[in-house]
Parts: sequence; structure tokens; C-alpha cells
Amino acid sequence: MSVDTTGLSRRSLLKGVSGAALVGSSFGPLLAPTRARAQSSKLVRVLAVEDPFFFSMKAMIPDFEKETGVKVELESLSYDALQARLVSAFVAKTSDADVIAVDQMWLGQYLDNGWIISLNDFIAKDKDIDLADFIPEVLYSSNTWRGQIATLPVAAYAQGVMYRKDILEQFGIATPPTQTSEAWTWDAYLNALKSLDGKQFGGKPLFPTVVCGSQPSPIVHMFTQISASHGANWFKAFPTSPWNFEPQLTGPAWMKSVDIYRELYKLSPPEAINYVWFDAGTRFAKGDIGMFYWWTPYFYLIKNSGYMTGKKSDIMGKYAAAAMPKAAGVEQTISLGGWSLGVPSSSANQEAGYAFIKWATSKATQKKMALWPDLNYQFSDFARVSLYKDEEVKAIYPYLDVQYAMMKQGNGKITRPPVPGYTALESVLGLTLNQLLTGAADPKVALETTNGLFTSILKGNLMIPYQKESFGDTLSEAKALISKLGKS
Amino acid sequence: MLRQKAFFSALTYVGGLLVLAIFIGPIVWFIALAIRPAETAFAMPPQFTFQPGLDAFRHILVNPGTNAPQLVNSLIVAIGAVALNLPFSVPAAYALSRFKVRGKKNIMLWYLGLLMAPPIAFLIPYFILITRVGLQGTYFSMVLVLQTITIPFSVWLMKSFIDEVPSELEEAARVDGARWYTVMWRITLPIVRPGIIVTSMFAFVFAWNNAAFPLVLSSRSTATLPIGTLGYFATSGVTWNFIAAAAVLAMIPPMIIFLVFDRYVVRGLTFGSVKG
Amino acid sequence: MSVQTVLAPQAEKPVRPSFVRRYLPYLLIAPSVIMLLSLIAYPLLFALRSSLYFWNLQIAPQPLTFVGLANYVQALNAFDFRDALVNTLVLSVTGTAIEFAFGLAIALLLLKALPGMNVVRALLILPTTIAPIVVGFLFRYLYDPGGGLITWLLRVFGAPVPPMGLLGSPTTALAAVLFADVWQWTPFFAIVLYASLLSVPDEIIEAARLDRASPLTMLIRIKLPLIRRTAVIIAMLRFMQLFNTFDTVLVLTRGGPGTSTRTLGYSLYEQGLINFNIGLVSAMTWITVLIVNIIVALYVSFAFRNEEW
Repeated sequence: MSVDTTGLSRRSLLKGVSGAALVGSSFGPLLAPTRARAQSSKLVRVLAVEDPFFFSMKAMIPDFEKETGVKVELESLSYDALQARLVSAFVAKTSDADVIAVDQMWLGQYLDNGWIISLNDFIAKDKDIDLADFIPEVLYSSNTWRGQIATLPVAAYAQGVMYRKDILEQFGIATPPTQTSEAWTWDAYLNALKSLDGKQFGGKPLFPTVVCGSQPSPIVHMFTQISASHGANWFKAFPTSPWNFEPQLTGPAWMKSVDIYRELYKLSPPEAINYVWFDAGTRFAKGDIGMFYWWTPYFYLIKNSGYMTGKKSDIMGKYAAAAMPKAAGVEQTISLGGWSLGVPSSSANQEAGYAFIKWATSKATQKKMALWPDLNYQFSDFARVSLYKDEEVKAIYPYLDVQYAMMKQGNGKITRPPVPGYTALESVLGLTLNQLLTGAADPKVALETTNGLFTSILKGNLMIPYQKESFGDTLSEAKALISKLGKS
Repeated sequence: MLRQKAFFSALTYVGGLLVLAIFIGPIVWFIALAIRPAETAFAMPPQFTFQPGLDAFRHILVNPGTNAPQLVNSLIVAIGAVALNLPFSVPAAYALSRFKVRGKKNIMLWYLGLLMAPPIAFLIPYFILITRVGLQGTYFSMVLVLQTITIPFSVWLMKSFIDEVPSELEEAARVDGARWYTVMWRITLPIVRPGIIVTSMFAFVFAWNNAAFPLVLSSRSTATLPIGTLGYFATSGVTWNFIAAAAVLAMIPPMIIFLVFDRYVVRGLTFGSVKG
Repeated sequence: MSVQTVLAPQAEKPVRPSFVRRYLPYLLIAPSVIMLLSLIAYPLLFALRSSLYFWNLQIAPQPLTFVGLANYVQALNAFDFRDALVNTLVLSVTGTAIEFAFGLAIALLLLKALPGMNVVRALLILPTTIAPIVVGFLFRYLYDPGGGLITWLLRVFGAPVPPMGLLGSPTTALAAVLFADVWQWTPFFAIVLYASLLSVPDEIIEAARLDRASPLTMLIRIKLPLIRRTAVIIAMLRFMQLFNTFDTVLVLTRGGPGTSTRTLGYSLYEQGLINFNIGLVSAMTWITVLIVNIIVALYVSFAFRNEEW
């Protein structure tokens, strides 16, 4: 057996490097840059997500730093990573950030657990926040919980229809209305799409529409707009008081919605079964889709080919926005979502955190974000009424009237109830819907099974019967709160 | 007879080419994704020729350069994991190889069995524990936790190397009056130097490629490259060039190590199957 | 000196061995064992305790009530448990078997010491050096129904590709995930088996050849038995790794479509880091650990029964 003697220098090198690394890593806790415990109010740490608002907001940060003299440390994470990071920090009671992005559904859980602070006091003391300028439906859906305003919206999303003017014209389909109308029902929407089935456009095969099939979240986001339109409710009583979380998925509204969604999938490219949010938009921007509905940021996202590339897509200028179809005889409900900013209770810098939130959600900043030309004008997710009436902004984003009309009919608390334990419910619902799209399962049976699963999950989470205090969370309550806090 | 031999040789070469095509082809294709213009990424039929550019790398390394510090972090964590691993696993391997140990079989299998625990399940308890002792986000926490993967593997590998060293060499030294640690340090270990190198290589690669632990235990400033690739996998769209570029960055060091130290690889992987 | 060695009696040391000397091997093993025990024991004990409580971070930040075995019941009755278990077993068993078979075939190929084959061998290890997450991205790119290379190749060869892509069809998704793992780890088997086969002493091979053994007989009756121990060990290693994979599934399919690629590892990820149901995920952890333990214990008692240590 040969003995390797030539490797001597390599081995000592290895030893040396290992030794250094061992020493280095033992001192790691001391030397490694752990998260800066920002005690000075001269630094604000912001944890956000890379949704469209992030890019324009980031570009405006130098303004904030100049105005206030406070430095901003901005970090963005993917959706899952953000949740994991936030919850871990909360549980360990470490201070990770002074401002965090909060999704609409997390609000109740974060506030009930005491992980974020209520902003009521800050707002009451603030003379120039102009709370009344916020669309009440948005604040109600995304920012209020049990009588507290805990976050402020930095990007508000509703849902609306986008269609290709040229395609509809070629096939003689009437352009959809820009306001909710009794003539523009889901049946009418489906009929319009069916007339595009199997057709060609520009020499290439055309797909009437595109949906998102990926579970758990994208498919639920898209589907729940249809179910909300039909007046469907997840639970027996929520958010009206007293809360009763018995699931109601077996109602006729849910059944009809499933039928519609299946029809829509049949009229979509088959690979849509795997589509997440952005895939649907990209597909439409590629040019072979006639009409679809989705979150309102897509009103401007489809101007670009690729996310935040700044490169114009092939369909820029060829599409328009329209109102969501409604269910005949049922008052329309639009799904509201979006991102808001809140302050963790563990932050030692809550004042600076609030100052940042106020700045980011202020009319001035949001307008500057909208007018930011880099990346081809990619922000119009306004929560403030005044911006929907601003001429400069409307010149760049011509669909704002449609978007505003949709916002005014919004109710995020019904479409995707922000209950604690939401994710477990969403994953079951998403799975069921996904299976309903790909298989020939009977919707009635599938929905009954899902309903049963909901019940066992909710029972397991101590939500049935609900033992904590309920809160009569209605739009009028929210409006009262807003006017009370707004008076200063 | 010669023709038959030539035929089999040709067959072997064809087999070799097929193997290369299957196993190296996708890697090459992925590297191509990192340097091709974004529009050609999903062209159908696939575009094999294109104008290469380093924009993606510039984006991930320079401006905004999110992956550059992650590259350094990965290096620190992986080297640290190897460094911490050796002082624990080498003595254990030596003992298991050279001495009669009661329950040796069970101990050996116990090490191996530790690899059967799902790492995901450990993340939350680790997070809570590590935060409570104030080590959250430090390199040390990741290096420490990675030992659950590196030590069992190293013990097995090193033991099989030490098994191969003829005991006569050690006997001779012992007869000359050497104590056990002198024997181990001056006689056995130098001989199994290649084994130590191979073991370190594998430990390095396992630590380098690990995504589960840094997912929860790292902070923004100590995040490693695999976490960096996940960052481009956002809900708002997958920027494939950046993912590919970050992935290429993550692929290179282990690949370099294994290609440079190739001659040790084969020697290392017999797992003590047959006494040489 | 040699005279002295010959004449000196083969007697034990006159002095009783010191504590250190007597327990030396255990002292050498102890540090690693202690390190591992503390690193593994803490989370497992934590999980054991948590599994007996209702603790869902989405509901309350701390454990609420003692629920005994309710979490275990819930885990076993979960809508995806059976599917996840089946998928995991299918993946683990089939994956290990395929990787072993192909690995062996490639190893035999490499044994033909033709010039240039060592280039193949040197390059072959590369897929194994890639992070599993990166392999997930790679195959997601290759499987893309629009412009993926594999999709294109399949169409060129006339194989049917489901319109929603290989990852989008419940019938092909699991196979697609399996293929990604096979691609990454077959080289590992190939090189380990090659190295072991290489160290089969030439005399044995010569003797067999003199006995006019056919290549097939040589393989089955001579070579394989000699490398048995290595083969058994790496098969076990790979099986355990496969059983616990989740990062490739996370990137490729997120467990979909439907539950066709949901694995136990992914379910753990979902319950722990998406639903934050600590009690439930702790119960699921113990169930998974028990299952793997049983399988491996059976395997070990069967495969290692005659082994010498």
C-alpha cells in the first residue's frame, strides 16, 4: 500500500485554513454582523416583499432620508421567507425590524398575538395624516381589526378585467363595461370567452382566457373573487358578530363558482394548472389570450414583458381594463388585498417606524412612486381617493376610474377571511380546487369533503366553538373609527 | 476476436458519451441560462446559439450584488463546518477502528441512523434554542447545527480509511514505546491523509449545499447562497437568469474541489468494502 | 533491540492500566456522541413535548392546552397523510433501486479501463455536488412546458407530453420529481460502486476467469457479494435521505398538482413554516422518525446480520 507523502504541503494548508476557520467561527458570535440592534432613532429597518410597490418605494427612500435625516435599511424577502422570518422573530421576541410588510390575512393573528402595535394612538396624535383620504373599504379590509388600525396600506389591490381591444374587435365581441352592470354577468363573461374558443389571431392559436391553477394560494385568490361575487361566505358568521366559524362551503354559491372556474380553465392554456400569480399576467402579455381578470396591479404589470424589466410588452397599448362581472341579482363584492406596513411591538424605534409608514403611505410619496418613470411606470396601487382623481396620474394610468369603482365594492374580510389559521384552510381549499380542475370529480362531493376538512381543522384550532371575544367588524364600524381617529 | 474487442470498446465509448450527455448536459444548459439573453431562455425550439453576456452575473455580484456577500458566507459556513467536524469525528473514527468497543455495531449504526431525522423538523426547535442563547444569525449557529450531518458521515468514512492502515505499522511504533496519541498523530493520520481530504471534501459539500438550516438560522447578513437562489424565486415572477447565475456561483466551488482532488475521490469511496 | 523483543515475555503490563487507557476508545468517541446527542436530542425532546400540546402560532404565541395524543390522531387522519406516506415510500424505494441499478451499470462501464473513461468518471460526480435546491430549479427549467429542454426532447422523440407540462400532470409529476433525484444521485452510486468493484482483488477475478465463469456469473456470484457491505450502506444512506427530501419538491411542484408529489418532508415544511402549527408538526416529526426507524431497523437486521465489525 503506497503512502502519500507528496500531499504534505496540501495537508498543512488544509490544517492552517481549518484552524483559522475554527478560530474565526468560534469568535463568530462576536465578530459576525448580527442584526444591528438599532437603538438610535436615526435608523429604521424595513422588511418588505418584492411586490411592485417595493421598487418605486425603494427609489423614493433617498427623499425620506433627506427629509428626516433618518437612515433606512431596506430588505426584501420572498413571501414564504418573510412569513417565516417574521413569525420566528416574534416567537423569539427579537427585534428584527422597525417596519414590516403585513399581508391582508396576517393582520388579525399578528394583532391578537401582540406582535404588532396598534397605530391608533399615533394616528390620533397626528395632525396631517389625512386619514379620511384613504378609501374606507380598503382600510376596513386590510388594516382594521377589533377596532384598531394596526397598519396602513402602501399598496392596495382590487380585482378587475383586462381584455385585448384588438381581439374583441376582430371577433365582434362587445367591449365590457367600465362600471358594474347587471348586463355584465359571469354568464355573459363566459359566453364572450366561449365565442373565442378555437379561434386564431394573427396566425397563431388563441386562448380565450387564462387562470391560475397553482395551489394553494394563487388558485384560491382567483377563485374567491368568483365565489364572493356570488355572495358566498366561508363561515356562518364572520366578520359580523357573534363569530361562528362553521364552514359553509356546501352552499349553491360555491357550487356555481366551481362550475364557472372549471369552465374558465377549459378555456385556458392547459399549463395554466401550474400558473402562479405572475404567470397568468406574463401569459396575457405574451399576446395569445383574449381576456382575463386578476389583481389590479396587473393593469400596469402587463405593460411590461417580464417582471420589472422596463421592457415594453407586445400588447402595450392594445388592452383595456373593465369592471368585474357580477352574479345576476347579487350585490357585487370585489376581493381586496394588497400590502400594508406595520410596526412590530419588539421594535425599540416605534416612532421612527411610524414616521416611515406615514411617509410611504402619504399622498405625496405615493404620487411620486406613480410618476417614477424607470421600469415603465409600474405603480398605481393607490389606497387614497385623491390619487384616483389626480389628472397627472390618470394621464399615465388611464384605467384608474375602473380600479376605483372596483375598490369601492371591495370587502377583503368576506372574500378571504383574515382568521387565525387561515393558511391551513387555504391549503385545503387550494388543493380541492386544483383537483377539481384536473379531474372529473363531482364538485358537490369535493366541496362536502372540503367542508368536513375545514370543520376538523377549525375544531383542531379551537375555533369551533369560538371561545374568544367576537367583534362586530363591519364597514360602518370601520368608517366610524376612521372619522373618530381622523378628528384631531 | 479483435473485432469483437473493438466492437465492445466502441460500445463502451458510446456508453460513456451517453453518460456524459445525460449527466453533464443539463449542467451545461443551466450555465448557458446564466449567460444567455433573457428572451432566449424559453425559446421553442431551444436556442443553442446565442450572444453570451455577463449581465446576470453583474447583477448578482456587483449591482445590486446581493449574492456576493452570500458567496463569502457560504465559504465561511462550509469551511467552519469542516473545521469543527474534524476534531470530533477523527478521534471517534480512530477509536472505532482500532479498539475493541462494546456495542461497536450499534454505535456505528446509531451514527448512521441520525441521518434519518428530517432536518425540517429540527428547524423550529433549533431556532428557539439558538435565539434564546443569543446566537441567532451567527455563523456559529449554522456551523454547529450542520454537525448533525457532517459528523455521522465523517465517522463512517474515516473509520473505513483507518481500517485500511495495516496495524503492523502501529504495532511497530508501539513496541518502540510510543503512546497512543503519538501513534495516532504521527503514524496513522499521516497515512490516512487522503482519507481526511476526501472526508473534508464531502463535509464541505454537504455544508455548502445545505439550504434547510440557513433558511431559518441565518440573518440577512449571514445568508448563504442557496438562500440567495430562493430569493429570486418570488411570487411576482421568476427571474431565471439571476437564479441560474446564482446557482452557477453555488455550483462552482464544490465542482472545483471535486475536480482538483479527483484522485482522492475513488480512493475515498470504498466505505471499507474490501480490504485492500 | 530485536533480540529484546523476541526474548521479552508476552505478558500484560505489570501496572494496572490507567483509567484513561482502559476507557480510551470511549473517551475518543465521547465528544462526537455528546455533540450529536445534544444537537439531536434537544429538538426531538422539544418536539415530543410540543406534540402533546395545542400550539399554533397563528392562534396564540404560546402553547394553549394539553391535548395528549390529539395531535398524533390529527396527523394520522390528515387529508394528505396517506398520500404523502405513499409518495414518500414510492420515491424512496424506487429512487434507491433505480439509482442503484443504473449506478451499477455505469460502474461496470467505467471498469472497462479504456483511455478517456477516467474523464467520464471525473466529470460524473458533478451532479452530486450541486445543491438539491439548485437541482430543483434546474429541472423546473428543463421541464417547462413552454421552452424546456426535456419537453422539447420528448416531443422530438415523439413521446407524449401532457399539455400542462410534466410537472403539471398528476400522472407524470411524481415521476418527474423522481427523475430529478435519480439524475443527481445515480453518479454517487456509480462512483462508489466503481470504487468498490475496483478494489476487488485481481486474484479472485483471475481465478474466476480460469474457472470459465461468464461475465454475468462473475458479476452476480463474485463481485456483488464482495462489495455487499458498501452497497448495503449506501443504499440505506440514500433511502434515508430520499425519505426526508423536501427542498427539491418545494421548488419543483410544492407538493402538487393535487397531492401527487406531496411527501412527508413537504408536509412537515408546510405545517411548520407555513401554518406554524408547532404542536401538529411535532407530532408529525415523531411519526416520521418512527416510520423511518422501523424501516431502517428491519433493513439493518436483514442486511447486516452476518457482518463483522
